[in-house]
Amino acid sequence: MNSRISAIMLFTSVTSMMALSLTPMISVSAQDTGGYTPNQLWSDDYVDSVLPWGGDEREQFNEYHDYDSMKLRMMRLAEQNPDIFEFHEGLNGGVNKRGDVTTADSYEGWHYNHASPWMKITKDVSGGELNPFVGDNGNYADRPDVLIVGNHHAREWMSYSVPLMFLEYVAFSYDNIGYDNDGDGKIDEDPWGDADGDGELDDDGDCLSLVNESRDSNGDGDDCGPGDLGVDEDFSEQWITDLVNSREIYLVPMLNVDGNIYDREIFCPAPAWESCPSGGWRKNLRNNGPEPLPDLTQEVDEDCDGVDLNRNYQFEWGWPLGATVPLIPGTCTPAEDERAGISNNDVYTGPFDTTDNDGDGLVNEDNVDGEDDDNDGRLDEDWAGGNSEPETKFIQDLTEMNDDNGDGSTEFKATLTWHSYSELVLYPWGHCTGCESTDHEQLIYHGDVLAEYTDYANMQSSDLYPTTGDFCDWQYGVHDSYCYTMEIGTAFHQNEIDIKHIAIRNLGVSFYMAEIADNPREKADLGLSGISQQFIQEASEVVLPEYGDIPIDVCLDSNFPYSLEMKNTHLMWRMVKPTRQQSDYGPREWSTTDWEMVPFQAIEESCTLRDGDNNGTVLRATVPVSDVITGELHYKAMLSTLSGSTLFEYPPNGNYNVLDISYRAPYGGVFSSLALFGVIVVLVWGGLGVCLRLIMDSGDEDVIMDATLEEGST
Amino acid sequence: MSEGQSDQFSGRVGLIFAAIGAAIGTGNIWRFPRMVGANGGGTFLVPWLFFLFAWSIPLVIAEFALGKRSRTGTIGTFRIFAGKKFAWMGLWTAWISTAIGFYYAIVAGWCINYFRLGITNGLVGKEVDTVEVWNSFLQNSGEVIFYQFLIIAITLLAIWKGAKAIEKANVILMTSLFVLLFMTLGLSLWMDMSDGTLDGFLFMFTVDWDQIGDPEIWINGLSQSAWSCSAGMGMAITYSVYMRKDEDTTLNAFTMGLANNSISIIAGLAVISAIFAVSDDPLGVVTGGSSAITFLALPEVFAQAPGGGIGAWVMMTGFFLALSFAAITSMISTVELCVRNFVDHGFSRNKSVLITTGTIFLFGLPSALMWIKLDSEGVAFPEFLEVQDHIWGYGLMFSGLFIAFSIWKYGYLKWRAAVEDGSAAPGFKGYLGVGVSAFRDDFINTGDNDLWIGRWWDLLIYLAFPFLFVVLMVSYFGDMIANTDNVWDPTNPHGLGIILAFWSVVAILFMILNKFLVARPLFRNVPEGADVDISMLPGGSDELIVQVGDYPPGWEHLGEKEYTVSPE
Repeated sequence: MNSRISAIMLFTSVTSMMALSLTPMISVSAQDTGGYTPNQLWSDDYVDSVLPWGGDEREQFNEYHDYDSMKLRMMRLAEQNPDIFEFHEGLNGGVNKRGDVTTADSYEGWHYNHASPWMKITKDVSGGELNPFVGDNGNYADRPDVLIVGNHHAREWMSYSVPLMFLEYVAFSYDNIGYDNDGDGKIDEDPWGDADGDGELDDDGDCLSLVNESRDSNGDGDDCGPGDLGVDEDFSEQWITDLVNSREIYLVPMLNVDGNIYDREIFCPAPAWESCPSGGWRKNLRNNGPEPLPDLTQEVDEDCDGVDLNRNYQFEWGWPLGATVPLIPGTCTPAEDERAGISNNDVYTGPFDTTDNDGDGLVNEDNVDGEDDDNDGRLDEDWAGGNSEPETKFIQDLTEMNDDNGDGSTEFKATLTWHSYSELVLYPWGHCTGCESTDHEQLIYHGDVLAEYTDYANMQSSDLYPTTGDFCDWQYGVHDSYCYTMEIGTAFHQNEIDIKHIAIRNLGVSFYMAEIADNPREKADLGLSGISQQFIQEASEVVLPEYGDIPIDVCLDSNFPYSLEMKNTHLMWRMVKPTRQQSDYGPREWSTTDWEMVPFQAIEESCTLRDGDNNGTVLRATVPVSDVITGELHYKAMLSTLSGSTLFEYPPNGNYNVLDISYRAPYGGVFSSLALFGVIVVLVWGGLGVCLRLIMDSGDEDVIMDATLEEGST
Repeated sequence: MSEGQSDQFSGRVGLIFAAIGAAIGTGNIWRFPRMVGANGGGTFLVPWLFFLFAWSIPLVIAEFALGKRSRTGTIGTFRIFAGKKFAWMGLWTAWISTAIGFYYAIVAGWCINYFRLGITNGLVGKEVDTVEVWNSFLQNSGEVIFYQFLIIAITLLAIWKGAKAIEKANVILMTSLFVLLFMTLGLSLWMDMSDGTLDGFLFMFTVDWDQIGDPEIWINGLSQSAWSCSAGMGMAITYSVYMRKDEDTTLNAFTMGLANNSISIIAGLAVISAIFAVSDDPLGVVTGGSSAITFLALPEVFAQAPGGGIGAWVMMTGFFLALSFAAITSMISTVELCVRNFVDHGFSRNKSVLITTGTIFLFGLPSALMWIKLDSEGVAFPEFLEVQDHIWGYGLMFSGLFIAFSIWKYGYLKWRAAVEDGSAAPGFKGYLGVGVSAFRDDFINTGDNDLWIGRWWDLLIYLAFPFLFVVLMVSYFGDMIANTDNVWDPTNPHGLGIILAFWSVVAILFMILNKFLVARPLFRNVPEGADVDISMLPGGSDELIVQVGDYPPGWEHLGEKEYTVSPE
């Protein structure tokens, strides 16, 4: 037929793909010196970097939140999104993992007496189990947990701004499927990272199609890098929704409330980026006093007080790799210029632990280092110090008391902490130089992804400088949690004009950590072994049977340890069909059915992976779509492994494939149609004939023709 | 009362042609094939045919019977049959029909324009892009308004002189329509057969017995039958005003219904076989948006008619002329329905016609001018017009319900009266014996009818009708609620909120107007010697209801004025 008809009349893949952006957008190479201006491509709001939830300057990330406005905003978001957010401050307390009794007060800062505010994020957050110690609902044994902590260090203001933007985006994107973030008419066309593997983060090529002078909108010197307009700007709300539905996210944007208030209100008069150009208040507000002399004042003694929270975790605590304690405990040497960052006790690890933790008469004989130092058969039972601060106790108890499945170990298999500055991704270890952890390769693998997202450098923490008692060493060393430290931005008190684009540059990181939280080790192993060659059939590869249900295959690496359990491994599908209520004068109207799932089965066939390996495993799902149905079939595969890694999505990034389905049933047989035709002829035309006959016969119609031809009125 | 005061059709055929003309509209030609395509081909014909007899014909019988006795348009009919308080129901019925007329004139204008394009070969040829033709036409408001005006002018001419003129116009147009459609059908079947399969025919007449139980198909069959026969719209009430005194209403109803379905079959088969003959995905085409299939797909299909340019020319002009005729005859009945109501209330016919056509033109302008949008496939569509259709199209269902209500009410009153004078038993049994069949006994089986209507009609009107009404409403609105975002938001042009908002405003307004409406005299168009006694009806005690030529006390001045301006 005339191709024009098919182009117009049918709801073809062309239009659907334009609408749903399943085609890779026309890629414009970097050499092409484009010619678009931002306003030609995107909505005004996007060009002007107006974040879609509106709000005041702080909600727009043009100014920094302070503790109060941040907490208020978190409470407001929790109130507006009660299905996914639950707001908390500190912990309820009780008997913790070590048998200590704590109360809610135990987690309040020394000086201003605030507990760290935090958000529990998961679907049906008020359902699930209640954790009486932590105080949160929404604990589900089958949902992996991730812990994200910002602002260990008071002056690192970007480190709480990034998690806040993450929170805003979760609130905005959840169930807001198909939102067009950049207003260019395409949906979800540019997810985080280099999704199409062409070496450019800008997967849809819109930034690259700009005139040269517009390509570096954040002014960091990197054209079309992360944080620039048009780069990774239209991610998948479906993916975010899937993550919230299947993960528990614990978000602590500002751990060090005491220090942050002090830094903002007293230590660095506004604007902080001018008053404290390269320094600021780093620690919490522990009163170290001039021991052993009595401390006559409760005022903060800037020369002496405070503990570096990120040196206060117990793992390898205080191991002297540097001068990390006051030169003489209890005495404090005034710093020459603390506001310029010159200080001699900024990394104070906190006091030594003088108690006999295990009651064996010995003190500090087995520090927390993963080794049984005293050969008594018990591990790390009498520590030298650390976790002495309310803030670190909070992290310790939140971590150790979060055990949904009751196996004795924490649920946080992935943890993330935000710091500034240096534009780095750091993975353990931090306490030893030239050493490698047992998961070295795997930690590098995920770190590389985060580095790709942010264009930061991925390195082992101790290669920057050795530390002691830091968050990630403790999370990984004690709890086997894959932990990353993001050193973001270029200053402690980053100028406020930079907040937004640095936060956007780092936005994808938290989502990635949530994604791998189910089994980061296996996901790294699979990634290292090249499962990116696995795929689900494209619409053009699906073989439509002449009648009946439609089979759809995924092709897996023969080593992929797939699970066939329906709960996490299934094909999701839905139909877009013409609605019953078609307008007589408008365009065709469509309705979309809800997503349904069908199981996969392993098939005794092999398939060819994208890299040409023809030894792939075929999993097949059969979609029950009748052969008289027309419309679009949307489908995507969700896979899991035997050891519980989930959310392997094909196609990735929350997308789905679109298959046009036309009427497949036979049109009918000759005899049956002739029979029905006969019935219609007899009933309708025959009936009409009878009626006309009756009218003729009624006798008063001698003037039929006369009547019709006769002139007008009487 | 002088001769000539009562306006009548010259004969039975005239009435039937007019009624068929009212029933047959663009819906038969462009909606029916889509419904067949979307509902499983032959499978759809089963419910569609079933409901012709179970819904459309019974309702039309009721309408004819009502109008034949009341001898007034819709407002008067409700005033007489349902009582003074319910004249607004007639106003609703008239309004729905007129409101549809506002934009239908524009739609009819499209048809005429495409006929013009067909004649001038503007739709044939390699360089013709039917989308471009359609888009540039729709976006050229001057042209759209010109054809809208043309349609209204034709309609005005056709009804200016009253029933006889309407009848003449319909006889000519309907006869031509039959001929044109048969010609188109012949060419289409030839096209379909030339690829050796006749698959369009097979599809259209094959029942898929697995699908026949699908409630959706039955609901679609019902709505298509009701919409396309104009059952419950008040058209039949209006035209029966011009019936001669001893007209057989039931036979007319059957003839009208069957003729309507006959045309649907012919047009449907023509469209479907033509599309099946040339399209790779005929069902995708045939189930597309309605105006799209007609103005985008069919010209392309017809362009491939056998016989080269001549075949295409014949097909194109024949089809679009038939479509135009179908639209014009429906337009005539729409305008006449409104005009009749004015005339009933003492306006001169000329003035009524001018008021009605002028209003329809003016109120149609927004649909012609506003919100001409492009859909996702780049095809223009008039969204304002579509929204009007969305709002008023469903309102038709209530017109039907009101008609049934009048019948129920008559039965109830008749039974109450019979109980009073002792001729009927009180209680449900007595009601069943006297009340239920009262309307049928008194107004349908009058003795003039060749076809005697049995108890089945009561069953349908009293039981099936309310049941099906509820099913239709629930299924349509349920569907809308399930599939529309922000369905309650009255600013959503495709939601339920906007429908309910407009309906309630109009209904409340009409209920308020009711008071003024029944304060005016009502003039019945009674042919000489006809037995149209209404004393047993609620309107029987209304002193303001008189026959044409009479004037109720205090309103004599109307007569004087009338005579001074009347040309005859």
